Formats: sequence, structure tokens, C-alpha cells
Amino acid sequence: MSHGFELKPPPGPALPDQPALAAVAKLLNLLNSALLKLSMAALVLTALVLTYSVVSRYFFQAPTDWQDEASVFMLVGVTFFCTAYVQSYRGHIGIEALAALLPRRVNLFRLFLVDLLSCLFCAFFSWKSWTLFHEAWRDGQTTSSTFAPPLWIPYAMMATGMTILTLQILLQTLAHMTNQPRQGEAP
Amino acid sequence: QSATSLKISHQFPGGTISEGDFRDRLSRMFAAEVEKRSKGTLKFEVYPGSSLMKTNAQFSSMRKGALDLSLVPLSYAGGEVPEVNIGLMPGLVTSYEQGYSWKNAEVGKELNRILLDKGIVVVSWIWQAGGVASRGKPIVEPEDAKGLKIRGGSREMDLILKAAGAAVVSLPSNEIYAAMQTGAMDAALTSSTSLISFRLEEVSKALTSGRGAAYWFMFEPLMMSKAVFDRLSKEQQAAIMAVGGELETFARKSAQTDDSLVAAVYQKAGAKVVDLSPATVKKWQAIARATAWKDYGERNENCAKLLMLAQKTL
Amino acid sequence: MSELTLGALYGAVTLVVMFSGMPIAFALGVVATGFMYFCMPASSLDTITQNVYEEMASITLLSIPLFILKGAAIGKSPAGKDLYSAIHTWLHKVPGGLGIANVFACALFAAMAGSSPATCSAIGSAGIPEMRKRGYSPGFAAGIIAAGGTLGILLPPSITMILYAVAAEQSLGRLFLAGIGPGILLVLLFAGYAVQRARKEYSLALKIYEQGGAKSAYLEDEHFTLAQKVEMLPRVLPFLVLLIGVMVALYGGFATPSETAGLGALLALVLIAVVYRVWRPMDLAPILSSTIKESTMLLLIIGMSLFYSYVMSYLHISQSAANWVVGMHLSKWLLLAVILLMVIVFGFFLPPVSIILMTAPIILPPLKAAGFDLIWFGIVMTVVMEMGLIHPPVGLNIFVIKNIAPDIPLKDVVWGVFPFLVLMFVAVLLLCVFPGIATGLPNLIMGVK
Ligand code: NA
Ligand code: NA
Repeated sequence: MSHGFELKPPPGPALPDQPALAAVAKLLNLLNSALLKLSMAALVLTALVLTYSVVSRYFFQAPTDWQDEASVFMLVGVTFFCTAYVQSYRGHIGIEALAALLPRRVNLFRLFLVDLLSCLFCAFFSWKSWTLFHEAWRDGQTTSSTFAPPLWIPYAMMATGMTILTLQILLQTLAHMTNQPRQGEAP
Repeated sequence: QSATSLKISHQFPGGTISEGDFRDRLSRMFAAEVEKRSKGTLKFEVYPGSSLMKTNAQFSSMRKGALDLSLVPLSYAGGEVPEVNIGLMPGLVTSYEQGYSWKNAEVGKELNRILLDKGIVVVSWIWQAGGVASRGKPIVEPEDAKGLKIRGGSREMDLILKAAGAAVVSLPSNEIYAAMQTGAMDAALTSSTSLISFRLEEVSKALTSGRGAAYWFMFEPLMMSKAVFDRLSKEQQAAIMAVGGELETFARKSAQTDDSLVAAVYQKAGAKVVDLSPATVKKWQAIARATAWKDYGERNENCAKLLMLAQKTL
Repeated sequence: MSELTLGALYGAVTLVVMFSGMPIAFALGVVATGFMYFCMPASSLDTITQNVYEEMASITLLSIPLFILKGAAIGKSPAGKDLYSAIHTWLHKVPGGLGIANVFACALFAAMAGSSPATCSAIGSAGIPEMRKRGYSPGFAAGIIAAGGTLGILLPPSITMILYAVAAEQSLGRLFLAGIGPGILLVLLFAGYAVQRARKEYSLALKIYEQGGAKSAYLEDEHFTLAQKVEMLPRVLPFLVLLIGVMVALYGGFATPSETAGLGALLALVLIAVVYRVWRPMDLAPILSSTIKESTMLLLIIGMSLFYSYVMSYLHISQSAANWVVGMHLSKWLLLAVILLMVIVFGFFLPPVSIILMTAPIILPPLKAAGFDLIWFGIVMTVVMEMGLIHPPVGLNIFVIKNIAPDIPLKDVVWGVFPFLVLMFVAVLLLCVFPGIATGLPNLIMGVK
């Protein structure tokens, strides 16, 4: 549903003006692009795993019972690992109908508020994900299937991804506060 | 004093107090009766069909006190609390008499203790037999399962099926129908009531029924969050436990009615219906003992103890 | 506070937060967490993450990225353009043939991709310039692609149908099959309109030319030799292999629906590697990264909206709203009309995925109680949501068109899609009168439910 399909590949997220923030932004971009590459591999691997389960059942009469859960874990990983990357390009869509109607100053304040609230929510979500991870780790929780993989794996991926996302939004909020005003452009 | 409102969540199709899936009816009867006996100080909202939360999230939410009550197969929480896998241990319970005897036997007391320790109060003991729907020949003897693609539906049943030489298939329950239809799967095991609600008779040629003798019995109690239970008054707690206990008769009768009903439904759809003999149940039990029981008993001390106590009721 | 008042408040706060421009995923999460904090037991806050995870950890839901990957592999490689050219070579002699070619190309691509904007951009980037080059008015060209692109969610595979199947607890295979008949109906309606409109534009161009005006490109004759036509045929082959391969795997009992998603994605990657030599990591990176971008954004919205609807359900809002609608004792068809109207209103602002996730728990129980077949309703709802994709203010396909052809004024695009909105409405009416258009095929293949 995104508009991401038709957009030309973006040149990379704009760096903040403030030097220290810019340095952190560069680091975060490196991390995001590493996670993106990992996720690309995981995506292809998932397609392979699901195909293998069909092939193995039909041609070798050896059905697999782990393909669904392995795929779920990998795709949960892909989703959360790349959510900060998507945010770095402001790729999480929202309704921007007001942007055209409000005066520039009000718009700037609105964007700041939106970022701040998003950041707080993601921070809260990250915290609760880490607690969930901790419980699953401590109690040795698994899924209830035959394959029974440990649940701390997807929980850890969720917690990590949400933490990086929180950092990403925090950085964008700080950049928003410190950037030099630009002519006719919403930061 | 204003009334306390409690939520009952389950995954089964929703209906009314007098019609529909008996597990939904039981929840509604429970709600109505407790409301009456608590003189309106307790009120209930029933959420059928996972309309409140996903099935797997219920147990954990009750432990945390975020959900009040739930009627759910206990073994679904097996990944979180390994001991509860005893609630769906094929061959360990072979009749309704035996299943319902757990409540007052040592095994029931021990299971209760463990669940209380995890923050769960068992309100109503409910057992249900199940059967096998297959798109080819009926799966009666363990040998019949050889080479077929079967959905066991639980870790323990999968272990037994594998030992019997079947190819175990895992897929979400909303895909069972389509998979049986296209042949991606040959057979599925589940409770009699679910066999009816999944409408598998349309795509099946045979049913191994659970009426009479069966090796597949599932414990799906009505449970309550201990944190929520402890906040109630003594009278309210007493009303809940009393009504829960009284409804067990209804549950047992309804489950047995469904065991017969499912056979009738499949017969009407032109499927071959086969009953199990005690000798056949013994054969499945022997495989279970060597695979699923052993696997369970080796999990931890609690599991070993529960297994030992449960065998005393055989 | 009564449940309905609370519901109104919940809805109002959601609208305010969404219109603040906050990304939809975060907006849903913020509103749900806020209401949870004020209206639910404190321990609920500890269950948020597990709830979101349990909702997301479904292989049916997570097949979405794989369906997107399959579409992206075709759309972002030269395969999409080839498909389009091949159909055009064969249809260019027919009046309005270029328009028909575009509709067909959209339909074929839709049968491979799960989302509408993806279909729109894959075919439109070649189709719109070609149509304009040959004299089609910009609005007409934009309209064909925007409307043709909406078929992406009606013809299987479809992301919205996956979500609907999960929410309505219906068979995905059956729902996919039910989309084919109405999909063909829309293709025929669109194509018929394209012929009629092209004829009109042609005679207008002819009249202007005869009166000494400029010569429109409509009047240029284009010719392809038979050899050229035959040469184009093999380019359609990869699509047919992919389409048939996936169908056989699913309906032949070889694969479960989720396995089919993986199989289809892999097959698409293998095809573009063999046919177009797109296999190096460098070539694959744009395909994979756009897939990940789109699916991450989508899955985060999905996860959060399931959490949002959990809070809504806990506060008994959905149930009260459903009871309220049921309590109005509307006749069967009036109830359907009211509900579809609500879907249209949501369609003003929200993409189909969000509409399904947010309304399904409210509208499905009363519809089921009124005796509607939920498979049939899923299809009707999908067509109505397709309309939402091409009507303002938020119409994802219109945004896509603005991206491919920025010089076409928004006014022209909106007027260009209008006739197609009417055709979709006609399709909805036809579906109500002849439900067999949707339910016929699944009943034929999978037996009467
Ligand atoms: Na599609
Ligand atoms: Na719209």
C-alpha cells in the first residue's frame, strides 16, 4: 500500500545540521543498512524454506513441521529489524491532509508534537518488549508446537527493532529542534 | 456497591445460552447463574470466537490479571508452562469417567496446585473426546496412519503419529478445510465439537468417532485469573466455584452428545463412521507410552509426578 | 460513561490523532495505549507486546511480504514492461485497443501481485506515456491505469483478502476463487468503456483535423508485422508459467496457501533470473528493499490495528456498535447499504488494509446474523474498497499516478477516474442481484459450502 513502489530509490536520509547528531545519524544509518541486508537475505530464505517444505513433502515423502514457525520468526524479524530503516525515510505513512492547510510555524510545531508522541509510544513499546523477552528467557518459554522453538528469539528481535526505531525517531525529533530553518521546506 | 464486571474469553463460535457450541453456552450459563447468585454484584461479558484476543494470548493474560476468565484447551499453554501438556496426553485418559475422576484424585489436586502457583484457578473441569476425519480410509489402527499426511494438532499427538509412520502436517486451523479438500492433508484429529464446526464432513470420506472408547481426550477447563479471583469477596468466590462445579454435569453430557452427533453428521454426509474398540485404544496407548508420555515425563519433576499420578487413575 | 459514548470518544480521538499526520501505525498504538491506561486494568499494559506479537505471528498474515515480493520481482524488473508491450502488439488494431491492452495488463499483473498501488505503478509507468503518445487524453489514460490497478486486491492473490479471511474466519482459497468472477466482470466493464471513450476521442480528433486543426496522434497508423507479433508472444510465457504454477500448487493439493506464497515468490525470482538475467545481489537489492519497505510499513500497521481493535473489543465498543446497528432492525439489504456506506466513508481516508482491520470485528457479526454469505460480502466489500483507492482525498492509486505522470493535473485525474467509479458501483449492484458471479466459481471448484 505504500508509495514506496513508484518512488525512485531515495538518496539516503538527510543528515541533521548539528554535528554530534549528524555523527549519531550516520551510525544509525549504517546499522539500518546492515539490518536491511540481513532482512533481504531472510526474505529470500523464507521463500526457500516454504518451497522446500512443499518439495520435501511431495518428492521425498518427508514432510517438515517447522517451516511455518521458522517463516514466522524470520518475517517477524524482517518487520521489526527494518522498521527504523523505513522511519529514517519517513516511510510509515500517515494522513498529511493538514500539511497544506496550516501556516508554516503551526505545521512545524505539529510535526514536532507528532514525532515526540511517536517516540514516547515506541519507547514504551520497546520497554514492554524487553520485559516480555526477559520473561520468555527466564521461564524458557517456547511455542506450543512439536518443533517448539524458544520464544525469546522473536521477542528479542521485536525488542531490538523497536529500540532502534525509538532511537531513530528521537534523533529525528532532536534534529527537528536543532536544524537551521530552511526556506519553504518542512523538516 | 457497584457491580464488578468480568470478561470471559474463548475461541469457539458464539451463540446464545440455549443454542450453539456447548462451550459458548456453558460460558453464558455460568455468567447468568453467577450473576443471579451473587445478587448482581458480579456481571459478565462473554467474548466468543477470539473476538477479544488471540487464543494463545489468553492464558498469559489471565496470569497477569489482564483477562478475568477463559475457557480454553489447557495444553495450548504448553510452551509457557510445560506441565499443562498433560491436558492433552493421548491414551492417558480413555473415558469420561476417568477424566472427571481427576478433579478429586491426587493428579487433579497436584495439577490444581501447579496452576494456582502460576496464577490460575480452575473453575470448571471440562473434558472432551475427539476423533479423526479422513479424506480416504478411516484411521482406526495405528497401521492405518502409515504414510498419510495428518494434522495431529498438538505436540504429543504429533509424536505418536510420527511413531505410527504418519507424515505430520502443521498448518493453521482456518486452513484445515481447504487442505483436506485439495489433498494437501489426508486427515485431522480434533474434538468432536470442532469436527462439527469445521464442517469437515463435506470433504471427508471417513470418521473415526470418539463415542464409546477413545484415546484422544482434551482437558479444556473454564479458568480464572487468581489475581482477579483473590480480589473478590468470599461469597462471590463461593458462587463462582459452586456454579463452575455444577456446570460440569452439563459439560459432560454435551460433550457426549456431540460425540454421537458428529457421527450422525458424518453418516448423513455419506462418510463411513467407525468406532474404536478397547483393544485398539490399547494399541495407541502403547505407542503413546513409549513416545509422548516419555517425552513429557522427562520434561521436569512436576511433569514426571503428574504423569505418575495420572496413571493411577487408569 | 456508556459504551457508545466511550466508542464515540475513541473514534473522535483516533480521527484527531490520525489527522495530526502521525504515521497510522503509531497513531493506532498511541490511541489504544492511552485508552488502555485510563479505562482498563493496569496489568493490561503488561500484555500489549504479547498481544501484538500473537496477532502478528500468523503464517497467513506473514505471507503478505512474500506476495509483495512476487509482485515486485515482476514489476521492478523489465518483465512488467514486456508484458505490456506484448499485449499491445496484438490489440493495437482494435478501436481503443491500447486502452484494452492496459486493462488486460493490469489484470494479469494483478493476478500476480497482492496490492493495488503495486499493480498501478508496474503497468502505469509504461502504459500512461504510451497512451498519451498515441493521443489518449491525460485524464482517460490516468483513469484506465488507476482503475485497472485496483484489480490488484480483487484478483488473487490479494493482501486485503488475506486479512479478511483471517478476520472473518473464512477459507482463503475459497475467497481467492470468489474474486475471479467479479474481477473478470470489472475487466469487461473497463474494457467496454475504454473502447467507447476511445472511439469518442478519435472522432473528436478526426473532426478537429478535418476542420483544419492539429493532427492528433490518434490518427497515426501503427503497424506490426505478424513476425513482430509472434516474436512478442514468448514474453508473456513467464507470466503464464508463474500464474499456472501457483494455481496448480494451491488447488492441486501440493501446497498450503502460505506455502504457495513462498513458492510463488521464489518462482518469480527464478523466472526473472532466467529470462531477464536479474539475479546478482545488486540487481535484486531494489526489488527486495522495496518489498521490505512496503511490507514493514504494512505489517506494523496491521500489528498495531489488531492491538487497537483489542482495546476496542475490551471496552465493548465494537460489540455495542454492532448491537446498535442490529438494534435499528434494518431490513437485510438496508443493513448492507448502511455498512457499505460506512466502508465508503472510511475509504475517504484509509487504505483497504486498515479498513478491514478496523471494521471487520464490528460489521461481520451483524452481517452474518442477517444471513449474508461472508465470502460473497468479502468480495463486495473489496470492490467498494477498490473505489476508495481512486477517490479523493486519500486514494493511494491517485498518488501513484501523480508520481508516474506528475504533469497531469489532479483535476484531470479525478475526472478521469470518475466513470470507472460508476462502473464499479454497477459491478456492486450486479453482485447483489447475481451473487453467483462471486460464489459460482468457488462452489464449482470446492463444492457448495
Ligand atoms: Na492480486
Ligand atoms: Na479514498
